[in-house]
Parts: sequence; C-alpha cells; structure tokens
Amino acid sequence: MGSDIFEISVNAVKIVALFLLMVQIVPLLVWVERRGSAFIQNRFGPNRVGPLGLTQLLADAVKFIFKEEFIPEKGRAFIFYAAPVVALLPATLAFVSLPLSAPVNVETFEMFGQSWGPYTFQFQGFDFGLGIVYVLGVSSLATYSMLMAGWSSSNKFSLFGGLRASAQMISYELALGLSIVGILILYGTFDFKTMIAAQQGALSFHFFGEMVTIPFLPNWGIFYQPLGAVLFLVAVFAESNRLPFDLPEAESELVAGYHTEYGGMKFNMFFIGEYGHMLVASALMAIFYFGGYNIPFVTPEQLSGFLEGFGYVGTTNSLMTSFLLHLCMFLKILFFLWVFIWVRWTLPRFRYDQLMDLGWKTMLPWALANTIITAIVVFVMRM
Amino acid sequence: MTSTVLFYLLSVVSIVFALGVLFNPNPIFSALYLVLTMIGMSLMFFNLEAYFIGGVQLIVYAGAVTVLFVMVLMLFDLKKEKQAFTKGLFSSLLKYFSAGALLFMISGASLMSMGLMTEGAEKAEPITTKQLAALLFTDYFFAFEVLGIILLVVAIGAVTISRIRGGTHAK
Amino acid sequence: MSVLVPILFITVFVVLFGAFLVFVTSKLGPKPKQSDLRKEAYECGLPAQESGSSKVPVKFYLTAILFILFDIEIIFMYPWAIQFADSITQGYGLQMLIAMGLFLLVFIFGLFWEIKSKALEWE
Repeated sequence: MGSDIFEISVNAVKIVALFLLMVQIVPLLVWVERRGSAFIQNRFGPNRVGPLGLTQLLADAVKFIFKEEFIPEKGRAFIFYAAPVVALLPATLAFVSLPLSAPVNVETFEMFGQSWGPYTFQFQGFDFGLGIVYVLGVSSLATYSMLMAGWSSSNKFSLFGGLRASAQMISYELALGLSIVGILILYGTFDFKTMIAAQQGALSFHFFGEMVTIPFLPNWGIFYQPLGAVLFLVAVFAESNRLPFDLPEAESELVAGYHTEYGGMKFNMFFIGEYGHMLVASALMAIFYFGGYNIPFVTPEQLSGFLEGFGYVGTTNSLMTSFLLHLCMFLKILFFLWVFIWVRWTLPRFRYDQLMDLGWKTMLPWALANTIITAIVVFVMRM
Repeated sequence: MTSTVLFYLLSVVSIVFALGVLFNPNPIFSALYLVLTMIGMSLMFFNLEAYFIGGVQLIVYAGAVTVLFVMVLMLFDLKKEKQAFTKGLFSSLLKYFSAGALLFMISGASLMSMGLMTEGAEKAEPITTKQLAALLFTDYFFAFEVLGIILLVVAIGAVTISRIRGGTHAK
Repeated sequence: MSVLVPILFITVFVVLFGAFLVFVTSKLGPKPKQSDLRKEAYECGLPAQESGSSKVPVKFYLTAILFILFDIEIIFMYPWAIQFADSITQGYGLQMLIAMGLFLLVFIFGLFWEIKSKALEWE
C-alpha cells in the first residue's frame, strides 16, 4: 500500500473514506428517492422533520438502531447474522476499485523535521489493471448474501425470494457480461483509467483507414456503442434488483422476499448493499459510455494549465484538478442514480416469465449481435 | 516478502476451508465453505500476479459453479439422501475407497512436483492477458473450437436430462 | 508490494464494521416478553412451513447450469476482445476473427437450440 508511513496511512484512510462515502450516500439517496417519488406521483413526501424533511434521515437512523432484535425460531443463527454483513462486501469491494478522478501528485515537503517524498496517490482504493473483470467477479458474489438470508430465515417466502434473486441475477449477468464485449474491443483494455483516457477530446474514429473527427461531439463511448449502452443499463437494473426487476422482493407475492425476517440495522445493511450496487452501476455507466471523470473537450492537462494561470502550482494545483474532475464524475454518477429512481417510480414490475424471457431471449441475442457487428466494423474500418 | 507471507497465509486459510467442506455434516455449510475455498484460490492467483486467471476463477467458480451447488442444496433438503449415503456397507466401502484414492493422488502430485521448486530458480515473467489471447486464438485455435463444441454438448445434455420424467426430482 | 494488501484490508474492515453494527444494535433494542407465536417466521399468519419440504421447479437448476456454460463462453471473449484491435495492426486479425466467428457460431446454435427446445420457458 505504500513505501513509507505517510503513504501507507494516506492510502488506508483513503480506502476507508471511499467505503464510508458509499455508506453515507445511502440516507441521502433514500431522501431523494422519497422526495422524488412524491414529486413524480404529485405528493409531498417527507417534509415535516427539518428543512425539506432532511432531518428525517436522522430519525430513520435512530429507529434503525433501536429496533427490537428478532430471529425466527427455526432460523440458522450464524448464517442469519452473517448474511447482512456479507451483503456489504461485494458492493464495497467493487466501488473502491473504481477511479473517481485523476491521480493526485504530491511534491516533496517537510514535516516533523523530515523530508517526505514525492508521491502519487490514485483516486481509487487499489488498481491492478484488471478493472472490469475484477468488478464483475466480486459483483457475482452478491448472490450469496441473498441465498444465505433466504435459507437461514427458514421462511418459505424468504427462501423463494432468495432463489428468485439468484436465478435473476445469474440470468442478467450473462447479458451484462456480453454487452461490454463491444466496449472492450474498442478500448482494447480491462483497465478503467486507460478507457477514460481514450475518451478525451472530440469524437474521432477510423473510417476505412482514415481518421475522421467530428468537432462538436465529445469522444464518448455512447456514440460508438449505443446498443451496448442500453443493454448494459437494463442489465445493471436487474443486477441491482431495482424496479422493474425487483421480483426477489415482490411485495404482493413474497411479502418482502429474502429480507422478510430482517429488521432494524440488519435490514439497513441489505439496503446499503443494494444502493452500493446502484452506485457501482452508475459509475460504470459513466466510465464506459460517458467519458468517466473527463470534462467534455477539456483534458486534465489543460485544466491543470488553466489553474496554473491563477497562481496554483505544485501540490495545490494537482489537488484542485483532481477535485474538479471528481466533481464532474460525481455529477455524472448522480445523474444515473436519478435515472434509477426515476425508472423505479415510472415503470411497473415484470412478471417472472417476462423477466426471464427478456434476459435470455431478447437481451442475450441482441448483446451477441452487438458484439458481432462491433467486431466486423472494427475489422473493416481498420484494414 | 509480503507476497510470500500472504502465500502461506492464504494456503493455510484455503486448506482450513477445504477441510471444512469435508468435515461439516451439513451439506449447505459444506457448500458455503467451498465458496470460501474458491475465493481463497482466486486470491492466490492475484498474489501470484496472474490477475486475469484470478478474475476468471472468481467469476466462474466462486460466482457461477458454487452458486449452482448452494442453490440446489437449498432447494432440495437432502435429509433422506444423506442418510442413504452415510449408512450401509456399500457406502462405507465407497467412502474408504475414495479417501484412499484421494490420498494416492495427493501423494502422487507431491512426488511429481518435488523437483520443480529449486532454490534460486529464476522467476518467470508473468504473461499479460493480451499475450494469452494472442496465443490462445492462434496456436491453440483447434483446442479452443473443440472447447466450444464440448460446452454445446454439455448444454444439450443438461436440457435432455432435465426433461426425463420420473425419478425424484422430475418436473 | 502485493495488491492483495488493500483488498484484504478493506475486506476485514467491512466485516468488522458490519459485525459491530449487528452486535451493537442487537443489544440496544427493546426486549419484549417472548412467546411461541412471536418467535414464529412470518408467513402471512399461516403456521410456518419448514423450508425445503416444498417442491421447487427443476427450472432453477437448469437455468443455473445453462448460466455456467454461457458464462464460460463469454469469459473466453474477454481476452479476445482486448487483443482484437491490436491483432489487426499486427497482421493476424483475420485469424482472430475466424477463431471467434466459429466459436460464436457454436454459441449461437446452442442459444437458439435452448430457445427452440423450450428449456427457457417459464410459465
């Protein structure tokens, strides 16, 4: 994690801060979700507790902490308590590996009578070039917490919720995995930062061996892979079990699915896991198809040069550049989080057979077609 | 240095989980131990800087194959089947035979790998995923296509078996 | 320095964090008097069934098997995808295209056979 004590501690604090960022965004999103749903359905939503109902979040937190402890009589205690903890892990491990901004360069400085390094701190927990394969790998472990919760509750609704959840997640994992093959062909890498670097500047591509540039569009993945982007978005909706794909917790059929028997903080941890998946999905959408942390038409170098004009140099310059790029990334993430909420309160839920048909018979063939067309087009254009 | 320490740590942890698979009387707990063993294996690959293989191990084994095991064991509470397997002369013979076969294989594998690890051997340069792809789709072209056909045969077989009526778990 | 150190660090941190939350909140809540009915699993007021005693469609099992097979096929496309553009400039692009094209033919045949054989029907 680093070569000296300063670097190690900064990296450790950074990775924990990323995790806490993920946990802390959940109450805010719940507020946005409730106010947003009220806005969409022409209601008020929570507006009594504090300004705009914002302190409702604190009241909710207190309620989560002081709920009665409950475990069903025939439940398997260890797995029952382990499932919510396991639910936190996949989303966290995926989220901390995403680059949320350009690296920060720290120049040599004096502290405690000693000179400290130049350092480069990545704006992500760790980076080993595996990128999307690692994220897919850890996200595929999310199935276990649902299966564990469903089985250990010894409640037939829970068990069926867990089974449905796992069957749904594995079905859409195929479409998810296949929809990004096109993007991999275009960028030729698994690594997120290389993908983001490839999306700088104006739209330009090979056209029968010649370079064509369209100056008024940014060089974003969405313009190369529109079909892939749509398939990816639908698949991540299903992966994070959000409406219209929330069959695992369909209230009218299964009470609350795999977390029927959970209350208080344990339920809240499943919730954090679900919102964490939404966060990861939004960040991946931004990275693959909307330029990641790039501000359109402005490269990080240009931004840094612009800030130098105001007299910011060295470490301050690097920090400010990184912060501005992070702001840009975060706006993109927030937009997709809003799309998640928007769709949830607009579309009705699928029936289970419709869900499976969509995954296997519609999305999988389309994703295949996308892959084949991309491969052939790339081959012909680069000849 | 760190990776050597981690190697031994991960080995011990993986072996403990693997023993958990064997000695836990509840098949569902066994399957969950198997998940942990698989994750331990993929971390070992990460530790050896074989990142892509580690990721594949995570996606295919931890994320797909063991999901099937856990799901099926939760679906069918195997009380009768478990008793049928653990009682009777034939199944105890089978148990001892499989334990013996396993012991034979483990000792054979250790004997064969005896000469491979020598002091001061040069560390091989890890090949990148791109090099792997360049090899797999040109030099090992035939094996790759055969693999596609084998997967097709397995898919057709699975569907056909699930169609057979009768038996305990037919539709 | 192994890349595993930060991964293991955050894993241990999250597990401890989660275990702490579960433990503390289990101690803080109210402790009402327990009764047999209170401890029962919530199955809409009906007496709770033991899990596993109900029949479950074999479909879940079949879906999981087919998922594994297709997942392996898709995993093979990943290294191919990242090398494909480079292989064109290095001059063996056609060979790569043919290798994956044949593989995809088998894949497509498999997928359409599954669809046609109604293995993927959920009624």
